Amino acid sequence: MKQPEITIPSTISVPPTTALTADNGTPIYAIHCPEYEVVRLSFVFHAGSTTQSHPFAASATANMLAEGSAKFTAQQIAEQLDYYGSYFDINIDRDYAYVTFCSLSKFFTQTAEVIEEVILRPTFPEQEVSTYCAKRRQQLTIERRKVETRAREYFARAMFGDDHPYGISYDEKCYDNLSRDILLEHYKRRYTAERCIVVCSGNLIDEVLRRINEITSKLQQSTEQSAIVMPAFNTTHTMHLPHDGAVQSSIRMGRMLFSRTHDDFIPMQVLSTVLGGYFGSRLMQNLRERNGFTYGVYSAMVNFQHAGYLAIATQVGCEVKEQALEEIATEIERLRREPVPEEELSLVKNIMAGEMMRILDGPFGIADVTTENILCGFDNQHIQYNLERIRQTSPNDLLRLAQQYLSPEDLVTVVVG
Amino acid sequence: MITYSKHTLRNGLTVIANRDHTSRLAAVNILYRVGARNENPERTGLAHLFEHLMFRGTHAVPDFDTPVQMACGENNAFTNNDYTDFYITLPVDNIDTALWLESDRMQGLNLSEEAIAIEKRVVIEEFRQRYLNQPYGDINMLLRNMVYTTHPYRWATIGLSPDHIANASTEEIRAFYDRFYQPSNAILSVSADIPQERVFELAEKWFGGLEDKPMPALTIPQEPQQQSARRLEVERDVPATMIIIVFHMGDRLSRDFFLGDMTSDLLAGGDSARLYERLIKRKRLFASVNAYISGDVDCGTFCFTGQLLPSATEAEAEAAFWEEIRDLQEGNITDYELEKVKNKFEANTLFGELNVMNKAMNLGYYEMIGDLGLINREVEIYRSLGSDDVADFSRRVFTPQNSSTLIYRAKSQQ
Repeated sequence: MKQPEITIPSTISVPPTTALTADNGTPIYAIHCPEYEVVRLSFVFHAGSTTQSHPFAASATANMLAEGSAKFTAQQIAEQLDYYGSYFDINIDRDYAYVTFCSLSKFFTQTAEVIEEVILRPTFPEQEVSTYCAKRRQQLTIERRKVETRAREYFARAMFGDDHPYGISYDEKCYDNLSRDILLEHYKRRYTAERCIVVCSGNLIDEVLRRINEITSKLQQSTEQSAIVMPAFNTTHTMHLPHDGAVQSSIRMGRMLFSRTHDDFIPMQVLSTVLGGYFGSRLMQNLRERNGFTYGVYSAMVNFQHAGYLAIATQVGCEVKEQALEEIATEIERLRREPVPEEELSLVKNIMAGEMMRILDGPFGIADVTTENILCGFDNQHIQYNLERIRQTSPNDLLRLAQQYLSPEDLVTVVVG
Repeated sequence: MITYSKHTLRNGLTVIANRDHTSRLAAVNILYRVGARNENPERTGLAHLFEHLMFRGTHAVPDFDTPVQMACGENNAFTNNDYTDFYITLPVDNIDTALWLESDRMQGLNLSEEAIAIEKRVVIEEFRQRYLNQPYGDINMLLRNMVYTTHPYRWATIGLSPDHIANASTEEIRAFYDRFYQPSNAILSVSADIPQERVFELAEKWFGGLEDKPMPALTIPQEPQQQSARRLEVERDVPATMIIIVFHMGDRLSRDFFLGDMTSDLLAGGDSARLYERLIKRKRLFASVNAYISGDVDCGTFCFTGQLLPSATEAEAEAAFWEEIRDLQEGNITDYELEKVKNKFEANTLFGELNVMNKAMNLGYYEMIGDLGLINREVEIYRSLGSDDVADFSRRVFTPQNSSTLIYRAKSQQ
């Protein structure tokens, strides 16, 4: 039968965000979606690994917030959350720690009792700290048996430098040196009123917002003023590392660029999507479809607070790694030489528009996008701006970007296995 | 609560529609009643290979992905032992594109030698990446081989060996398509802001013209009752020893399924659950620990797994699992604990109904297992179960003669 007509969305609407300020000055962003009987509440602290003074302190602090508080033991916290079917989720990256709670609207009051303890009064009991460290040390040891994990770690080192806060990785033995005092110190320095934003979504009746403000307002003001120092990057362009018993090699290739606030970020996202951002991308066509080298290959723009880069990642049979590297180089070269055909470009733009719609479908996704925008200094009007920016990107823009940013001599290549 | 209506087209295609009033997206799910359990023991992995081949285009639409993506859509698929599932989400205005593509590939697939050769390579590479090149990657295969003697659940969806895929002939692959990819062997489910009647009209428009070749009835050899304890010990180059104990239990529609699910939640549903609290935190035997059910359509399994801390011995770790089992068998389960598991189940059910994709996928799944109405009855079933039921389940299922134990030992590091 005949192919149906299609419609491309030109606008993306999201429910309005209400910006409030807690009594202590911490911003609270509220996205009211009354049709969902749930509440989701996130606290984002500028407390990622770049802010730590000991290896693994930032992730351990975030992951152990719920392991005991002034009023509750770890067991009681888990118990109370589980009992009402609520859950929480911790995410940590180099810059930020994200602590997110979800509950049914009808159980928010009971959940808030726990939220207050977890956010404001964690105690990091010594016994729990040592259980956590033993467990994480073992997990990391296992992870590092994988070519993929090692490639990811060495790629960060190659891009930023072994000692750079964005590049560094630590020996798993460092877990043995963590202690309760170190975590408490990190918590006191970084989990403070002015290093926090709060984002909530779902059915936000007044009582819920009042309670969120009450908890947020109790965050301490910080005493420390020091800014995070970002040293210069120290890039190594090529690293080939052996890996015992590897059947596959893990490849990471990329280029240091800029963070999301840069004007070329969105068009570079379009370019990286053309290259490896979807199932039919050029790299997928080449490495998977034509050559059967791999199960998957991807490229994406990665955003940090003070940097950003393009990364290509894949795993291929060890025997074809050289060929795979050549094919990746060929595809990059092609972007520098020929404009992307209009048809391929519209495909990519439609994919990206669809992706935005999917992420923004439902109260949780909207909250995630809102958080990302705020951390970059934008508001949610930026969603529509991004959509337009994507739609306006032309083949010539992409050619210029590829020529400007993807010279072979600027690329970083890491192969493990 | 998910509202739905169901309708069957003349060619046997089952259609289920849910109206979602908030989303601007439509989810289109199509489930084929074919999984690894339907495979020939000499040609395992075919159902999964076929999931891949379904994306290789047809004579009319040589490239499947591009039209989906042009319509701002996203699609994917998965295969398990019981069924194969394909799904697309896209702006609701473009729903016709999804239906057009799914109806087209139900019968017009391009099974050229070339397409097959490429997809075989990709699947074999997946075999290596996910099962051979990963620490602990072969556990699933070792377990299935020990736990099942007869039922096709004895192999994983990826298959018994990459050779089965490599050696499958073009004729065998074509016959597989003819047999299983038929309207009467498929379930189409849609969740979108579209009136349910309109969904049935669209289904008729796009699928009504397909002719059905009914599939001959299948008999799947069922697993005989296990008579004695089984045990396997292997040594691998991994950092930590794992202990896994597996028990046979009931099928998806049996009361034991819910009891098994609830028991696994008591043991391992969240950080306040028994195993985490007692074996990781209190006894400090394991770095991680879990209890879960396989959830298969035919009689499935209940599984305990734990990864040992270097300080723990195998004997004490294994004994610790049996102690937890005894505790359940003796009925030491409080109402509070049960209430918690039930609340959690109810909340997770609600969280799972927040987006159109989950709803469309679940509707197809419940229809496949043979009781669509169950989708809205499960919370109530959980609410009706008591501690005596769990204790009784534990006494019947967690017996030594019904157990298979795998010791996956880390080579001592010198």
